[in-house]
Amino acid sequence: MTQPFKSTRNARFLVILLAGLAALSGCGRSEPARYHLNMVEMTDKGISAQYQVEIATILEAMFGTPDEPFVLPETGLDINKLRLASGPAWSDEEGTNHGLYRRHCAHCHGVTGDGAGPTALFLNPYPRDYRQGKFKFKSTERAAQPTAHDLREILRQGIPGTAMPSFRLHPSREIDALVEYVKYLSMRGQMETALANFVMFQLGEGESLSQYANVYVDELLSPIAEGWAGAEDQVIHPDPQLAPPPRNERDPEALAASIAKGRELFYGTKANCLECHGPTALGDGMTTDQDDWSKAVKQFAANHDQVTPVELGALPPRDVRPRNLRLGVFRGGRRPIDIYRRLHAGINGTPMPAVGPATPGATGTVTPDQIWNLVDYVLSLPYDATTQEPALLSNVRERL
Amino acid sequence: MNKVWSLLFLAVPVFGVATFVAAPYFNHWLPRDVSEHGRMIDHLFMFILWLTGFVFVGTEVAIFWFMWRYNDRVNREPARFMHGSHSLELVWTILPAAILLFIAIYQMDAWAGSKMRRPDIAPTAEVTGRQFEWRLRYPGPDGVLDTADDIHHVNDLHLPVGEEVLLVVKSEDVLHSFFLPNLRIKQDVVPGMKQYVWFKANETGQFDIVCAELCGWGHYKMKGQVTLESREEFDAWLAQQYEQEQATLEQTTTDEG
Repeated sequence: MTQPFKSTRNARFLVILLAGLAALSGCGRSEPARYHLNMVEMTDKGISAQYQVEIATILEAMFGTPDEPFVLPETGLDINKLRLASGPAWSDEEGTNHGLYRRHCAHCHGVTGDGAGPTALFLNPYPRDYRQGKFKFKSTERAAQPTAHDLREILRQGIPGTAMPSFRLHPSREIDALVEYVKYLSMRGQMETALANFVMFQLGEGESLSQYANVYVDELLSPIAEGWAGAEDQVIHPDPQLAPPPRNERDPEALAASIAKGRELFYGTKANCLECHGPTALGDGMTTDQDDWSKAVKQFAANHDQVTPVELGALPPRDVRPRNLRLGVFRGGRRPIDIYRRLHAGINGTPMPAVGPATPGATGTVTPDQIWNLVDYVLSLPYDATTQEPALLSNVRERL
Repeated sequence: MNKVWSLLFLAVPVFGVATFVAAPYFNHWLPRDVSEHGRMIDHLFMFILWLTGFVFVGTEVAIFWFMWRYNDRVNREPARFMHGSHSLELVWTILPAAILLFIAIYQMDAWAGSKMRRPDIAPTAEVTGRQFEWRLRYPGPDGVLDTADDIHHVNDLHLPVGEEVLLVVKSEDVLHSFFLPNLRIKQDVVPGMKQYVWFKANETGQFDIVCAELCGWGHYKMKGQVTLESREEFDAWLAQQYEQEQATLEQTTTDEG
């Protein structure tokens, strides 16, 4: 009498147990990762659904998929490095890690490199969107691409003051693979924009993109690849004659004089630093401007009322925060040469302007001498008497 | 069937003890100790392990014996219930209390050594935990932190071996725990508080720094490395870092710095 009842109960228990185990083991593989188009851009440029499909197809033919990247020789990219960085994360028997981008980067920077991964919304500043090929912290002239060395240093040092951590302890093979992959995603994004522009401006009514195969490699991809290949020639090298000696060998009086000059420039009308960084350099001067990424989103929202950019996958725009120079945190590096380059070329994609000459030989807003004065002033700010006021330190409780 | 349950309960102490006996052979034991004070920490660990292990085995064997001896299929007599035994209660209250009191007194010196007797020396470095990395700062030639000649680094802590080292440990955002398994150092880090750890390493080599307090989704990757090296090597390394940070023109050898 009780026997059948007991066995049904046991059977039911077994089914629940098996279902639970299946859920735990992640039974059933998820769909392969895919790149997606920049829908804000596509909508903004009025690219029809049919052309969107064509653009996506061409991009896939030129760059492959997240699991199987492909590159044309014109890009100058190393497919072996890309293979190590792409695909799902796994480790082989020798302990070599594969799928590095998805293991370390994709949750913030997104599979497509759009800077809108799952964690992006919680971060301020937002993770970099690579697709415009614009990078903030680099050694090159404002509009130029970063060098491989610049990207490698960002990975090695991290970006203090942001959510970008350091990957210093990772083997250089892994870092090089990731640098290559960032360049690849960037070129892919730039190519997407170039194709959208081509459809918008050059393509005749009803024409198909596919008949222009030679055009989009020679005329669209090549300039993008050249921009990356030529980055080395765009590195800012300050004139060694004008550069002060290493800081530890400076004559204290000369340094103090230089800091005083830098201070004057900071408050002067030429460099006009205080307008954004504020009269106390606490970064509270201008608080209503945006970087290029947020500007584009704002612009879109202003021009379209059918759909919001957030619905199309963009992050809500944010006002940029000028750096508080008294924190002693320097995102793009704290060496004098880093600060020099930041001042010389400004920060690409942000309202931070260049004070150095736009092209070699031209005259900048301020002279190289004066840039060095500003470097000295900026580097002195975190240790300035105002910064070190005891009031700021009073809430640091010392144990023992 | 009648003895299965008691045998199952006997399996608990058997497997429990076997795990501990086998663990060292599978390299699942304490990480190699490279510190001067670590012996004391390990001794306390082993002492408490033996003590609790002894009680654990005793309790489990008693449970097994009762289940075996008073199995209902062989014991047809109804169970006899008893209520309260003043002397028994006294024994099982006083005995654990005495053991706890003993441990509390016995570990005092180790606790004082690692938490209270801070050596009267200048900090060698400052470690700041941050989601998800360890930011490092060394005093420059002036020997004082928070001045313009500080040396900045990340995740890659270098320290001299064979001498007392004092570290300042802070957090920039949330709770972290600065854990040096091979040096038997673990210190929770609380934002807004400045903590100190000190130790004397007695072996050179590279060892892990890990975060031992769940600090966010990237907690598991908050890993650093401590390189213990001779005083000369350490000084040379620090001088090189210092030079790189002070130079006004790009150094050609920055890549492996």
